[in-house]
Formats: sequence, C-alpha cells, structure tokens
Amino acid sequence: MKLAIRGVGAVGGFGCGLEALNAALSSGDHKTKHVVVKTAQGPCEMPAYLADTSRLEYFLNKRALRRVDHYSRMALLGAYLALEDAGRLDEDRSRMGIIIASGYGPGRATLVFLDTFIHDGDGLSSPTSFSNSVQNAAAANISILLNITGPGLTVGQLEMSVPSALIAASLWLEEGKVDSVLFGAVDEYHDELGYFWHRFFGEKATADHEMKPFEFDLQTGIPGEGAAFFLLTRADEGVSPYGCIEDVIINRCDRSPLEIPKDALLFIGADGHKQCGKYYKEHLPENVQLACYTPIYGSLPMGPAFDMAIAALSFKQGMIFPSQACTGDERALDVNRITCLKISGSGEAGLISLIKGN
Amino acid sequence: MSGPFPVAITGMGCICAPGDTVGECMDALFRERKDPALPLRFTSSHSISYPVFEVSNDLMSLEPRGITDITRTGRLALFAAHEAISNAGLDQELETMRGQRVGVCVGTTVGTTMNNEDFYRQYLKGEQPDMVQIIRLLNSNPAAVIAREFDLCGPCQTVVNACSSGTDAIGLGASWIKAGLCDIVLAGGTDELCHVTYNGFISLMIADDSPCKPFDKERKGLNLGEGAAILVLESENSRRSRNKKARAFVLGYGASCDAYHFTAPHPEGRGLRRAIGEAIALGNITTDNIAFVNAHGTGTPDNDRTESMVLADMLPGVPFLSTKGYTGHTLGAAGAIEAVFSVACLEMGRIPRNAGFSTPDPDLPVTPADTEMVVKGPVALSESLAFGGHNAVLAFGIDRGLS
Repeated sequence: MKLAIRGVGAVGGFGCGLEALNAALSSGDHKTKHVVVKTAQGPCEMPAYLADTSRLEYFLNKRALRRVDHYSRMALLGAYLALEDAGRLDEDRSRMGIIIASGYGPGRATLVFLDTFIHDGDGLSSPTSFSNSVQNAAAANISILLNITGPGLTVGQLEMSVPSALIAASLWLEEGKVDSVLFGAVDEYHDELGYFWHRFFGEKATADHEMKPFEFDLQTGIPGEGAAFFLLTRADEGVSPYGCIEDVIINRCDRSPLEIPKDALLFIGADGHKQCGKYYKEHLPENVQLACYTPIYGSLPMGPAFDMAIAALSFKQGMIFPSQACTGDERALDVNRITCLKISGSGEAGLISLIKGN
Repeated sequence: MSGPFPVAITGMGCICAPGDTVGECMDALFRERKDPALPLRFTSSHSISYPVFEVSNDLMSLEPRGITDITRTGRLALFAAHEAISNAGLDQELETMRGQRVGVCVGTTVGTTMNNEDFYRQYLKGEQPDMVQIIRLLNSNPAAVIAREFDLCGPCQTVVNACSSGTDAIGLGASWIKAGLCDIVLAGGTDELCHVTYNGFISLMIADDSPCKPFDKERKGLNLGEGAAILVLESENSRRSRNKKARAFVLGYGASCDAYHFTAPHPEGRGLRRAIGEAIALGNITTDNIAFVNAHGTGTPDNDRTESMVLADMLPGVPFLSTKGYTGHTLGAAGAIEAVFSVACLEMGRIPRNAGFSTPDPDLPVTPADTEMVVKGPVALSESLAFGGHNAVLAFGIDRGLS
C-alpha cells in the first residue's frame, strides 16, 4: 500500500529542521564535532555528527522535559517538527499510531542506569534512569506528551530497523487500524559507542577525516546521531508534495539480486563501513543513477530515514541535491521514483521506494 | 476497520522455568509446580532477596548455525523455535520452507539492549575489555538469530515494546500472513534474566521479595522470569498444500497507547479497553464465546487493579487467570509464552489455578480462577500491558470449523 508523506521533521549533525537539512545538502557542508573517547591508552578525540535538541523548548516547557533524556528529546523534536510541517499539531490523535525504528535504542540512558548501581550499589539503582533505558522509551514519551492513543511499536533491527518498521506502518493504514502514523527513527551517540568505534576501527575512527562512501574498500565512517520523523497517511487522501512511499523490500543481497526499479534514482546508504561496502561494491547494478548523502548525517543504523527525508525534500523542491556521485550544482529532478538502499554488514538489503505525487 | 484474521497456528514451542517444552510447561502448570528461587546466574548486593524464575537448562548443547557465539536470549529463542518448527512438521520440510516467504517477528526487552555490565565495568576502570562481548550482542538480534538458523530471507523484525513485545510480535506476524507478505511467520518472544533488569524492577519498588501473588489482597509486586516461546503462523495456502491441521487460529489483535504515564497503567484502563475491544471486533467474537482470559497479572498493585476493573466491566463472568505465579514475568517473552499457554488450555478445555492467589482483595471487583477449571467456549484472550502505557491483546480460537 502506498503511504503519503504529509510532514517531515529531522534533527541531526546537519542541524535542526528541514531548512537546516536543505542548507547542508545544498552547500555540502559536513558539520562534525569532536568527541573525547576514553581509552586504555588515555583520552583521544574523534569526529562525530551530533544533534542539538534545544529547539524542543519551543514546543514543550522545561517542566515537561525534566525527566526526558537526550534520546527521547531527539525523537520528540523530530515528532513535533513533522507534525508542525504537516500543519497537524493541533489535530486529535486518537486515530494515530506511533512507530519508532532504532538500531541501538537509548544507549546513553542504559549507561546512566548502570552507573547508578555500579557506583552506589544495587540498592541505589535509579528508577528514573531505568525507565529511560527501556527500548520503547521514545515511543512512550511521544505518546504521552502528544496524547497519541492509537497503537505503538518500537522496532530494533539494527540497520534494517527502518524498512522493517515501515511494513507495520503500511499494514496499520491498510487494515484501517489508524488514520495516520507518526513514523520516526532515532539513534544516539554515547561514550561507550565512541569507545566501540575506537576499538573496532582504531585510527581510522579517531583521525580527522571525511566520509568517503564510494570508497567501498576503505573504513571512513564517522558516527552520527539524530532523528527523522514522518507523518504518514493513506495516499488516497490527496497529493502530497513530498510524494509517497510506494514499496518496501527486505532481502538478502547474497541470496537474490537487488530489486531496484530501473527508472529510479538510487540513494545508497553506504556510510563508510568497509564491511558493508563490499556488498555495495558487489551488488550495485550498473547504469543506475546514484547519490549518497551519508556525509551529511554520518554513520548510524537509522540512516535510511534520513535518506527518506532527503528523497521527500527532493520531490518537494524538484531537485537533486549534489552528492559525491552526482557532482556539480543542484539540478532539476528528472525522475519520478527514488529508491533508498541500505545494506547491512551481514548482507541484508532494505529498499524503500518513494514516488512523486500519489 | 478491515479484519486481517483468522491466521492458523500450526506449531508451538516454549521454554521457561516450568519446563523446556510446551508439554512439560503445561504439565507443571496443572501440577501447580512453582519454584521461584534466588538468582543463580548473577549475584546482587540488595539487602533483601528477590526470587526469580530461572530456566535450569544452560542451553549450551545448542549449536547455532553460522555464528555460534550468541547470547542466552538468542539461545532461548532458538530452542523454542526448534520445538515449534518440529511441532509444525516443518523440520522435515526445511528445504521447502526456504523456498517460501518465511518471516520472523520476535519480541524482546534485553535482547537488543547494550547493557553488557561486565564490559562496562571494565571500560569504567580504564581496562581493555574484550570486544567479543559486544560482537556477541550484535550477532544476537533475536529475529536475525532465528532467520539465520533456518536460512530464511523474509521480513525480519525484533519488536521492543517492553512487556507487550511478545504479544505484539504475534499480532504483527499474523498481519504479515493475512496481507500476503509471508507464507509462514515464526512469531514469539524471548528474554533472559539479567542483573540490570533485576535491579530496575526492584528500584521501581514493584518486585515482590516472596513468590508473587497476582490479584491477591497481599500482592506486593512481580517476580522476574526468563524464557521464550515461538508460534508457527501459516497461510491457508501453505497449510493446505502440506495438508497440515491448524492447532488454533489467531482471531484478533488489538493494540493501543494509554498516553498517560511511563510506568503505571491508566487508572481507568483506557488503553486496555480499546485493545480488548479491537481484538474482539476483528475476530467477530461474542463475549459468550470467550472461554477464559489470560490476564497480564503481574502481581503489582496498579496492574492488577486496572486489569480486574476492565475485565469486570467488559467481560463479566468470564474466567481469568495469571500464569506469572508459575513463570515469573518474562518481559518480552511473556506475551508469547502466555499465547502458547492460552492455545494449549483451549485445546485441553481447562485452565490451571491462578498461582499465588488465596485472599480476595475487596478493592478488586473480580477474582481469578482459584482452582483448576474446566472451561467452555472456543475463544481465549491474552493480554499484555507494558512500560510506556502500551497495551496489546490477542484473541485465539479453536473448533470454529476453520481448519
């Protein structure tokens, strides 16, 4: 079933909102910051794409946010931005569902909870930290603060979280369980994640560098964080300038050929991981128009949601934003279909196809 | 709202404290065997001891296909999946199954959580912890573990809806069948006991330091447990092509958010009412057809108060029970384990007594089954209420002339 995109909200290393995403895409600016990673050899710096959620206070007062951690704040900000963009902030949400896709879940809150009993003993474990560490924390915060009373779902399927969760959005709308779905994806950077990067990739992670997603044999990834949200409805409600999600396919690229529509512009989610790069190198079809925007938002499991946001923006603006594979200035969009492809390190492939109009 | 059901259940597998198979579990339930004890796989510095329901099997005899180093949560899922596949008769047809569209939808809470305590303690001390612990976790996504074991390449989804994950995974898996996305779906839930969640529930002051007492006047909270259950859901075409009788059917699935509180249910049970109503409506179920309700029944004061009030209002006179007095609260696995129990009880035409219940609470309008009961009617409901105010309800049916 086709899903119309009525509103988009995004926050990440590129900034907050579609204007910031648009500006980053147009300029090609890569806004990494430096994080300090604690290692056995002492602290070292590493580039990372980090998200600032201060704009959330435009939507919610500090009291409402006092127990909400960074992970849920990113998700809440994405959710509010998507509803605002759709012009549906004041709508009744009793027939709305909430779906969240996340590769790693609220990692920072999990560590904060561990800290409470590792430092102070089991008896002083923090109930607030424990609550924030539960994997559906973002969906819970969003449903409570936005009064969404339809069904809720959080999916944790690593790099396939976004395409996998989209299946549920499509079925809920098709079955008539809901009239709309607030669909979002969120992942966060935290200290231990930085340590993982340091241990797995060593200097390739810590040295100052740029992501080179088309250098499939090189490890050039830079960790990212952020959230991308979409208000989805059935397509028969009318044309959306952002277009529709037409199809979602999950497969194994080592088992069957990638089913990429011939007339599609292909956004690949190659994010500088050599382990995934080998699959792109081997399985990308020839003669397909490619683009890759991971250097705008970084390397993170929910990356396909950022690609969906960029595809939606491309339809709305009628242009293709410059990327490493489509060098030159912005140019007019000459296709009606954009397919976002993500391949995991174990060869799973998720394809999300968006079409112009409905 | 269109009805995506009924969907056939052709096989089931279950492992939890009462037993390593569905048969062992049901036998233990009807023998009223319940053995909560202090945790053996981790130690705790709490001044009070809180009993848990551990699975005695260390599961190390399992030899997972491909990647062998996986978490206990992954092993529990595999163990239950093998029983379910065998029960469905698919162990003799694995090659055929690989040619079909077979999906995996599994609920969990700790199975995807980066809460490796040993690793983190070493990291905090500035040591160089072995990355094998992190690689093991990354290789143990429960749905992916099952897909890898049976070489499946259909949709793969790990549901992390806290305590309703297993119920939601079965409901979503049934939708995949009905929508024509899959011929077969392995759906269920899995979770291991761990020190982190143990501390978490104690910190919330909703853990009982004695065997839990769902719906009892003296109830103080839950006991944690561990386990897994997997159901084989199958399309009519697939089932008929191999002449396989359905054990039961998923008739309906309802889900909702309370939008009220992070850790407490809505006091009027707003979301639960909606989820029950939706599951009943989807299955075209009349309340006089409902044989019993498997309640979430954790034994916490708030949960049991809300649930009993909703059951009294919506399903007066329908017998209900909680089985958590036999299994403990197995979190992401609970909904799946209780789905298996519900189907098995429907098949047997009886339900065990609600373990832990002895004294009626005058504040609760109804009381659970206080003795083993013969039940009539072809339908059972199974409820799950979760952190974050999420509610999920499944309706199962047998003997409706559908098989």
